[in-house]
Amino acid sequence: MNKILKLFINENIKTWKKLSTKIMIVVAILAILGTLGLVKIMEKSAQTTYQIANNMQLEWKESIQQELKYMEEQLKNEALDENTKTEYKRQIEVYKICLQYDVSPWQDNWKNDLINQIAQLKIQKEFLSENEVKEIDLKIEDLIKKLEKDDFKGYIDLQIQEEKTKLDNKEISEQEYKDNIEILNLTKNLEIGKETNEAYWKKRLLNEIREAQTSIRTNIDAETNKVLSIEKKQEYQDLIKIDKYKLENNIAPLEYTESYRIMFETLAPMFGVAVIAIIVIVIAGGTISTEVSTGSIKFWALTPNKRWKILTSKILSVLFYIIMITLLITILTVIIANVFFDDAGEQYIYVKDGELKVINSTLFTFEKYFIKMITVTVFALFAIMLSTLTRNSATSISFSLALYLGNGIAMSIINSFIKSEWIKFVPFNNLNIFDKIFTNYTSPINFSMGTSFTATTSLTFSLIVLGVCAVLMLVTMYDSFNKRDII
Amino acid sequence: MANTVLEIKNLTKTYGKRKVIDNISLEIQEGEIFGFLGPNGSGKTTTIKMILRLIEKDSGEIKIKGYDNKKEFEKAMEYIGAIVENPDMYNYMSGKDNLKLHARLRNIDEKRIDEVLELVGLKDRAKEKVKKYSLGMKQRLGLALTLLHKPRVLILDEPTNGLDPAGIKQLRNILKEIAHKDGVAVFVSSHILSEMQLMCDKIAVIDNGKIVKTENITHMELPEDNESIDEIIEIKVKDVPKAIEILKQKFELQPQLVEGNINITISNEKIPKVVKELAINDVEIHSVTPKEQSLEDLFFDATKGGNKDE
Repeated sequence: MNKILKLFINENIKTWKKLSTKIMIVVAILAILGTLGLVKIMEKSAQTTYQIANNMQLEWKESIQQELKYMEEQLKNEALDENTKTEYKRQIEVYKICLQYDVSPWQDNWKNDLINQIAQLKIQKEFLSENEVKEIDLKIEDLIKKLEKDDFKGYIDLQIQEEKTKLDNKEISEQEYKDNIEILNLTKNLEIGKETNEAYWKKRLLNEIREAQTSIRTNIDAETNKVLSIEKKQEYQDLIKIDKYKLENNIAPLEYTESYRIMFETLAPMFGVAVIAIIVIVIAGGTISTEVSTGSIKFWALTPNKRWKILTSKILSVLFYIIMITLLITILTVIIANVFFDDAGEQYIYVKDGELKVINSTLFTFEKYFIKMITVTVFALFAIMLSTLTRNSATSISFSLALYLGNGIAMSIINSFIKSEWIKFVPFNNLNIFDKIFTNYTSPINFSMGTSFTATTSLTFSLIVLGVCAVLMLVTMYDSFNKRDII
Repeated sequence: MANTVLEIKNLTKTYGKRKVIDNISLEIQEGEIFGFLGPNGSGKTTTIKMILRLIEKDSGEIKIKGYDNKKEFEKAMEYIGAIVENPDMYNYMSGKDNLKLHARLRNIDEKRIDEVLELVGLKDRAKEKVKKYSLGMKQRLGLALTLLHKPRVLILDEPTNGLDPAGIKQLRNILKEIAHKDGVAVFVSSHILSEMQLMCDKIAVIDNGKIVKTENITHMELPEDNESIDEIIEIKVKDVPKAIEILKQKFELQPQLVEGNINITISNEKIPKVVKELAINDVEIHSVTPKEQSLEDLFFDATKGGNKDE
């Protein structure tokens, strides 16, 4: 053990004294800094487009007035049928109220809904008796009051009342009523949809909750139209909890996020891991072969250390390098995320045993890097193995790199042709460890790489496949290194 | 004194059908400088690599200080210092840092590092990177590496490569000192005969994987009776046939033609007479050189390399 430790220390001294090692670390750091720069540029350009959009909105009043004129003229036209006339009248009412209360009619918000309701009522008035008109006038007054006071909650209350009537009339079941009220209450309390410029994602999340509720209620998966399995039901229940938490805490899903910190925290590990992977493979692919080709392997082989000890120290030093460079880059990412951005960053929310749990962004960044490194380590082992077998750096590095970069695309093509059961044992189908642990996480990479197949194998299965792979590679390289001559 | 430290018994190695090493047996004693002589491709380096287990032997036995180099590899290697082919160091590190790597593995302190650097004459440039070293300096550093842990057996493969004459002389002195003073067994392979002659106590000539001759050098270099020993004399003349005629008739010699020169075996006292006789008969003499009864002859005799190459 002592001997291996000394060899290991020597390996590290040797590695760190090499200029290329230092350059590679600088490259990795530059990748992270580059990501920061990219995100910052995106932030700047997004602000400018936002201003342009604001200016555009001021012009709506003019066009409405033109439309009003046009429609009033049209009404004088005798040839128009009744239905169209009513429609025109209603539209004119809508525009007038819009102008009066300064609400743009082309925006999809609750005020427009209110205005439409008011206009509808006003048109209805013409066809009704006096008693009914009074009732409707009261209603209109109430609605206009809500419009004037910007009373969003009152507006939702109206819908809650409607649901209540529906329940009383037995139009909907008790459960459906409960579900709908839950959503309306969320809308009311969080004022979702009150502001025009508000993020669209909240509505989407609400929809997601609604769909999940429907699926659970009807026991039919809304996505696939199949009977809901127990696991899927659990998944939907968890999803509702997570979505509610996101709404309550104003956490946008990744696709909709406007937080540039989250963008940075997503992109940095993507680039970071890719760059580290390349660096690690280059180093791993040269471990044995460079030493054999320069002859410096004899430097070690002529010391009183058995060959397996020498190889062990070399493998360990590569692993140590992986850990060190990952740690460095992770810490750098965390520091940049905290220094250059203000918000809380990317949290990972999940449900375990019915309990909602949140991983904060710093911890999540660490997990992102280190779990993705498991995959990289497998490739590093592969590169060391090739390096031992071929004794040629160029071959082992280029082959390993090609596999690392191309396996996603290659496997998605292969998977689409071969549908047999055995294909799930192919190691490349088991590399997505990260996605299997963080099932709620949708990384942008998932869209570009074929993940359809990998999703079917479990985390344990994948780890076993990769473990077996690693053992086979280790056996191969030890065998080769022990037995083959050093020329 | 006669303590065997390196023992090779019936060593054999085959590549395909070709026997690269054919049943070699050697014994090297403490304090002995053992020359391993042979033309290129004769199996010198292969033998050395098998001693160091860079290459696995097919059969045979190699013992270092009584430890089998296969069963007790690490113990055996404790006693060995070796350079095979080129001294391979890490170029991007300084000479001293390279030594430190080895020192750590063998628990050697810095004092010894300086000592060894001093010994090989690299002290002033120890902090420079190895890639700035000349081949000779690398050889010296390689020697320093092997001497670091005070080995009992020193195995050097072509150690004089790249050394200038001064360096060779220095190396010779170092080797002689550690062998004769400290009792280290030195195993040197080379194809350069003159060096071996000056350096070694004993040599074995290897050709085509077989040991063809083993000799003690000292006897060859310093014959016991110096007085009337026959020497080989090389005579360069303009008119060769005429010279041969004279030599045959007047001195009853059997002159041989080697590379256009006349070689005769003759005792010391007779040389002036031969020269005089030739001069009288109008043979233009360019040079008369005594040819030492040297390793070269031994080497060519044994390996028959002379016919092959020239």
